[in-house]
Amino acid sequence: MPEYTEDELKARIRGGHILESPDEMTPGYRRAIIVQLTVQADTELISAPAYWLAARHAPSTNTQVSAHAIIQDELAHANIAYRLLEDMGVSKEQLVYGREPHEFKHPYGFDQPLDNWAELVVANGFFDRAGITLLSDVHRNTSYGPLKRALIKVDMEETFHLRHGEVWMRRLARAGGAATELLQRCVDWMFPMTIEWFGLPDGLKRHSGQLDYQLKGLTNDELRQVWMSSTVPLCESLGLSVPAHYDEGREEYVLDYPFPCQYDPEAKHWLFDDGEITWDAVFERWKGRGPMNEIYVESVRRSRGTVSAWLN
Amino acid sequence: MTWGLGEGVYEVFARKNRGEPLRHIGYIDAPGDELARVYAWKTYDEENWFEMCVVPRRAVIPVNRLEGPWARNLPEGTE
Ligand SMILES: [Fe+2]
Ligand SMILES: [Fe+2]
Repeated sequence: MPEYTEDELKARIRGGHILESPDEMTPGYRRAIIVQLTVQADTELISAPAYWLAARHAPSTNTQVSAHAIIQDELAHANIAYRLLEDMGVSKEQLVYGREPHEFKHPYGFDQPLDNWAELVVANGFFDRAGITLLSDVHRNTSYGPLKRALIKVDMEETFHLRHGEVWMRRLARAGGAATELLQRCVDWMFPMTIEWFGLPDGLKRHSGQLDYQLKGLTNDELRQVWMSSTVPLCESLGLSVPAHYDEGREEYVLDYPFPCQYDPEAKHWLFDDGEITWDAVFERWKGRGPMNEIYVESVRRSRGTVSAWLN
Repeated sequence: MTWGLGEGVYEVFARKNRGEPLRHIGYIDAPGDELARVYAWKTYDEENWFEMCVVPRRAVIPVNRLEGPWARNLPEGTE
């Protein structure tokens, strides 16, 4: 245990101090980074089965291979984050195999089915971009050295996933007809889904310590702006409509729908017409988890028993 | 229930090109040296490495720091 207090550690960190091992963490720092890394690891892990089921709809063998390369990357990213947790005394075994599916910490967006190739590539364009928005901020600002270094590889690969999404979105947008209509339908449910992913607005944000310990640099609202500042122009350039625009007067992106609002996962439809709801109602929906929660979690762990039986 | 694949931690080192330093690039868990080679190559495939090797974490002996990830490998009686 370190001999400094929480406040002394925060002051050191503000002066640029980097922690290099778990024994240098105070209890508050440890709690905050465990929450952050668990969300990160679970999100990487569950993106794999989500993309894997969607990759069945790949239009050719070549495209299926590139989709599978992305899935392999995601599993490596998950492994790296769980390994960092293990160095803090948290059991990867328990996290992956010992929890109920609803206890995983990935966002609600990764509890949704991706039913066709267009949904997979928009997931790359939107969800992977959210991932890189969050993780590149962590990479630039984190006070934990091992995480900062681990993210070099992760960010490189996320950039590739994002490009895969963009290239395919462009292709589908150029194709016109049914392909473009399908693409627009993806954008309609996945754009607000990603916006919600960034969480509570700053005005309502409960204190998590992640900013005090410099585990990240930007606030939720700032991250949402960063994501929109590349996503909105991309969609506009492809002739896709998105429920957000740049407001010259406020010098920021503004949503054109009530936020937050309710979602119908069966219809993949946001109930804009029902108006704004409370964040408590959003947390209620998140806690109830989405339609694919159990299927995704079980699909990453079902072969474990068989493999250990062969080996033991 | 224990699933027990008996995994150990391996540190991964790699060199991008001739003339460049061998750098610590990460770590993996594997149930033995052979799979450690495979997992390291498959996990850290972001570059076309000129050279990569893995070292079991228990083989890394710290010299000047008494804490950190390798602290438990200090020879007995180190002060
Ligand atoms: Fe990832
Ligand atoms: Fe990704």
